[in-house]
Amino acid sequence: MRGATILKANEDKTRQLNKHTLMAYVGEAGDTIQFAEYIQANIQLYSMRNSTDLTPSETSSFVRTELARSLRSRSPYTVNLLLGGFDPRTSKPELYWIDYLASCAPVPYAAHGYAQYYCLSILDKHHHPDISLEQGMKILRMCTDELKRRLPIDFKGVVVKVVDGEGIREVEYEDGGQVLAP
Amino acid sequence: MVGKDCVAIACDLRLGLQALTVSNNFPKIFSYGSQVHLGLTGLATDVSSVSELFRYKVNMYRLREERDISPQTFANLVSSSLYERRFGPWFVSPVVAGINQTDGKPFICGFDSIGCIDFAKDFIVSGTASDQLFGTCEGLWEPNLGPEDLFETISQALLNAVDRDALSGWGAHVYIIEKDKVTKRLLKGRQD
Amino acid sequence: MDALVAQYSQPSHSAQDTTLDDSLALSSKIAPPLSLNFELPPIDSHSAWLRAMTDDHSNPQCPIKIAHGTTTLAFRFKGGIIVATDSRATAGNWIASQTVKKVIEINSCLLGTMAGGAADCQYWLAYLGMMCRLHELRHKRRISVAAASKILANLVYSYKGMGLSMGTMCAGVTPTEGPALYYVDNDGTRLAGNMFCVGSGQTFAYGVLDAEYKYEMEEDEALELGKRSILAATHRDAFSGGFINLYHVKEEGWVKHGFMDTNPIFWKTKLEKGEFSNVTSKLE
Repeated sequence: MRGATILKANEDKTRQLNKHTLMAYVGEAGDTIQFAEYIQANIQLYSMRNSTDLTPSETSSFVRTELARSLRSRSPYTVNLLLGGFDPRTSKPELYWIDYLASCAPVPYAAHGYAQYYCLSILDKHHHPDISLEQGMKILRMCTDELKRRLPIDFKGVVVKVVDGEGIREVEYEDGGQVLAP
Repeated sequence: MVGKDCVAIACDLRLGLQALTVSNNFPKIFSYGSQVHLGLTGLATDVSSVSELFRYKVNMYRLREERDISPQTFANLVSSSLYERRFGPWFVSPVVAGINQTDGKPFICGFDSIGCIDFAKDFIVSGTASDQLFGTCEGLWEPNLGPEDLFETISQALLNAVDRDALSGWGAHVYIIEKDKVTKRLLKGRQD
Repeated sequence: MDALVAQYSQPSHSAQDTTLDDSLALSSKIAPPLSLNFELPPIDSHSAWLRAMTDDHSNPQCPIKIAHGTTTLAFRFKGGIIVATDSRATAGNWIASQTVKKVIEINSCLLGTMAGGAADCQYWLAYLGMMCRLHELRHKRRISVAAASKILANLVYSYKGMGLSMGTMCAGVTPTEGPALYYVDNDGTRLAGNMFCVGSGQTFAYGVLDAEYKYEMEEDEALELGKRSILAATHRDAFSGGFINLYHVKEEGWVKHGFMDTNPIFWKTKLEKGEFSNVTSKLE
């Protein structure tokens, strides 16, 4: 977005940090990509130097510290992040909610911005720790439908990526069409 | 909160952005060594940063001195570390609780965000519900409570205080610290 | 002595401030004539002054704290209308009450809900109840929901810009209209619709409600959904909580389905259905 114009509708707002960790970002234009690629580069550097990947929780700690350091600098990054990863050692998926103030919380599900206000209650109701991927996609559909129904803006499609034991892959997510408020 | 040969420290579990509750599992009490506990309220990012900073400092202390830090020493470490940021403070108001291993005496104190120590013989409160906590603690606390009675007192004081504060609650952690034992309990508070 | 009495028996500003008299006369001309001659402060801009005194958000030290923060919802379905609210009143971060009745029983067939300024809602919905009764006496039949909500909308519109704060819903079933639901707020907006959620927790209630709402629901499903939507909002919104107040409006009149504490309902929902997986119930 630039002013009231959409410059690009299918921008991928995620960066893969290592084999099992993906970071999604939103925020101030410019800051987002600069910060995400800085983090991506450092995490990849770590993997190369040590021939081992950082786990998601270690990654979250690094990201948070970097963001906290930037917060008290002259020009802080204004970036909100979601960090999703699969820890191959414990075989457990992890998700971290990090905002531009560098508050970090491990959560079972998360959102940023206005989406939080609409989606968290849906997720509170429908999420269970042991749901399958199909059930997860169904809940995601409920969330995007609700955003289409109630948000005054049209967010022009979504990019969906899945992180699991095999790594990270993008999945097809077709636009369900218009959803009207009842 | 101080009892007879024991101290208790408790916190709620909410992490929120004004009215929105983001996480219901964000503990604000951190332990350093076996007996010293630090409670941090304020800006969430600084709660994490400050807790990590003291983890580093206390570990360095332990390596140098080859012993655990005492609550008194820790309180002075907290105070001087906070004052280092006199002109750009950490936005936290810490509370320290512990038992001194040499004399076995309970110790609690609180701080403002730039390191002024507030020693107390009874209780210390901090956070958005501090007004309410002053009320409940003044009403419920009495001297020389045993560990179980102290647990009951601090739990009731905290739960009833956060039930009158919109911004805190959503469950609580309580630590009862005795000379050779620390008991941690989860309180299932109101979730609204 | 008489001079002293005269000096103190009327507001001291009324003598010198002519614009005040004008605005009093004006408000009595626009607004319905019944007991609506409110005292106005001797200043030019009432709304700006009121905002300076009461806006907690921009000025946390504001001297007057109005009770705010709410979740209320109402939706139409084949069996009538479900109306549900929370019961928390907050002044700043202070929880002033956990037992507010936010459903106002205007008469045996008409319900109003309150969000925004508690006093504004209570006063004007009570006033609306009075107007509805007068309508019944004058016309020998019950007022329609459309007419009742229009009275309220016109009324609040006449005070537009003077700092009234209310977001309210009027729900009722009448023989002519069937189940009817109107949303009225302090801007003067008046909307008919199938489903409304009002208050600081509205988005959370919408989330749950939209995902499972169907007009063809059964009564028990509808009641459960209304209750669950309020529960969702009380959990996520700091300024909603307390008790769930649940009503069902039918052709014969409304039925109250309880004023239930959220705490046991929450833990029952979590432990029996496995929802709210973000909340820890055991120390790991």
